[in-house]
Amino acid sequence: MLLDINTYVGHWPFKQLQYNTCAKLLDRMDKYSVDISVVSNLNGVFYKNTQSANEELYDELQSDNNFRGRFIPFAIINPIYAGWREDLEICVSELGMKGIRVFPQYHDYEVTDPSFIELVKAARNRGLPVAIDIRMVDSRQRSWMDIPVFVPGEKSDIILKEWQLKNVIPIIREVPDAKFIIVNVANGLRVNDEELELLKKADILFDTSGRSMSDLPDLIKKFGKEKFAFGTHAPILDYLSGRLRIEYMNDSEADEATKELLRSGNARRIISI
Amino acid sequence: MSMKIDRRRFIANTSLSATGIILAGKMTGCSTSQEKQIVSYDIMKDVMKYRKIDAHQHPSDDLEKQIEIADRLGIEKMQISNPVTNFSGKEAEGPDEVRKNNDVVIEAVKKYPDRFIGFFTLNPIYKKESIEEIKRCVDNGLIGYKGYTQVKINDPVYYPVIEKLTELKMIVYMHTFTQLGMGGYRMKYDVGRFPNTTLAEDMVESARKYPHTIFHFAHIGGGGDWEYQCKMLKQCPNIYVDTGGSNNEENIVDFAIKHLGEDRIFFGTDGAYIHGVGRVLSSKATDEQKKKIFFDNYVNVLKKGGYNVA
Repeated sequence: MLLDINTYVGHWPFKQLQYNTCAKLLDRMDKYSVDISVVSNLNGVFYKNTQSANEELYDELQSDNNFRGRFIPFAIINPIYAGWREDLEICVSELGMKGIRVFPQYHDYEVTDPSFIELVKAARNRGLPVAIDIRMVDSRQRSWMDIPVFVPGEKSDIILKEWQLKNVIPIIREVPDAKFIIVNVANGLRVNDEELELLKKADILFDTSGRSMSDLPDLIKKFGKEKFAFGTHAPILDYLSGRLRIEYMNDSEADEATKELLRSGNARRIISI
Repeated sequence: MSMKIDRRRFIANTSLSATGIILAGKMTGCSTSQEKQIVSYDIMKDVMKYRKIDAHQHPSDDLEKQIEIADRLGIEKMQISNPVTNFSGKEAEGPDEVRKNNDVVIEAVKKYPDRFIGFFTLNPIYKKESIEEIKRCVDNGLIGYKGYTQVKINDPVYYPVIEKLTELKMIVYMHTFTQLGMGGYRMKYDVGRFPNTTLAEDMVESARKYPHTIFHFAHIGGGGDWEYQCKMLKQCPNIYVDTGGSNNEENIVDFAIKHLGEDRIFFGTDGAYIHGVGRVLSSKATDEQKKKIFFDNYVNVLKKGGYNVA
């Protein structure tokens, strides 16, 4: 079985996307033998009221019987926006959402914001994983309307604010017994010994979509085979590189049992399906 | 379910949650009413189906490891160059440094002539030494040129080098970029790029001045705005691009085919081996188009100069 833990439908306002509806994503899944996709609505990154995006996703998933059994929706929740607690309740109990995605960078709050900590605790209490993107797009080709990644007034020295793994460590430290899915890891997985121990103890998954996953065999040795899962970051990133990083590994790097964990086993564990 | 079998039966579980959209409970052993045949996709088989030449590589400190990675992805040959990139001033980027860098390529090609295609680098500020270095590198088996950010490709300082390379029917291959902040458009932010980096419009200017010269615009997946680049480069049929770089956005290859045509695109990785292959495989390109991008286009362009690498 192949379970993709990182996909979207919806629009990215600065660039046209292909395959950004459930129907188009399902075509991709069928073409490339992907059984199930965890999906969220990109529009929720940009709507102030993210619940509208969750409702859009629900309606789209209801619109075609072929979608049944093929998608696992995750809700986008903004914990500094009014009504998020009710939104979370509705998403779980009425809309069938099995996890949440959060966007501290786009929704403009710190990862130690009390509201965010409360949201992660609420997710933990419900057994819901919390998915966090290290980055959505490569900031080097960002739109001038995208979130700022430069320190104003600085010249010559490149001071990117694109996230690294260390940026999400504080929320894991705050709620170490929550479930986390860290996706599109693009700027390395450098952590100190204390952070490594924290991550190893946590119920956490990194998806294979980000460019920092290219040396997956070494990462498995460092973090453990239970910490990684197949993800594409579709439709923003190409559909096959996240998959290729798993299947490229030879037997000495990852045996078949390990690959099965990465293809779906670890994802099924963290989503509780 | 095994991914190894040719065909598999996907069981769409219709024992649904309250919403009717969630796969409920366990994945197996559930009641089913909906079954669908899906052809199993074997990604490694797809990878190995295509012959490949990587048109954007650099010599690794561990050449054997580099070749092993290439083998596992079906990459037969890698075009390697070793530009001077220390940016610490003219002296450090002078002829001695250039020769030292080219020697690394020469040695790699001599050691693995069947796996590496060697390109030399220059600093065109040093006119006399550059022409001498071209001769030395050609005598040592290198067959093309890779420029970096010392001088823009449309700077008149470059003209003698371009003319010599044209005489030798060699590809003029440049490190390039286009993004917010360093040029091309919206000169608003300084993101640390070097001011003499060749932009898409710089290459267009040179390509128009030298319409019989083959130019290679490096790594459209290298972080620059690939839509901007492809639209700008469209007008010059003597400019080719490679797909290399770490940004593997879904639409890069398809957009390049649409705007540049299937014959002006080389497969490249710039060290991003796996997603270099993945982004081409994932594109809408037909089987024939993928063959061209992965292999034929680069072979054919080199052949035009009398350099047979296939």
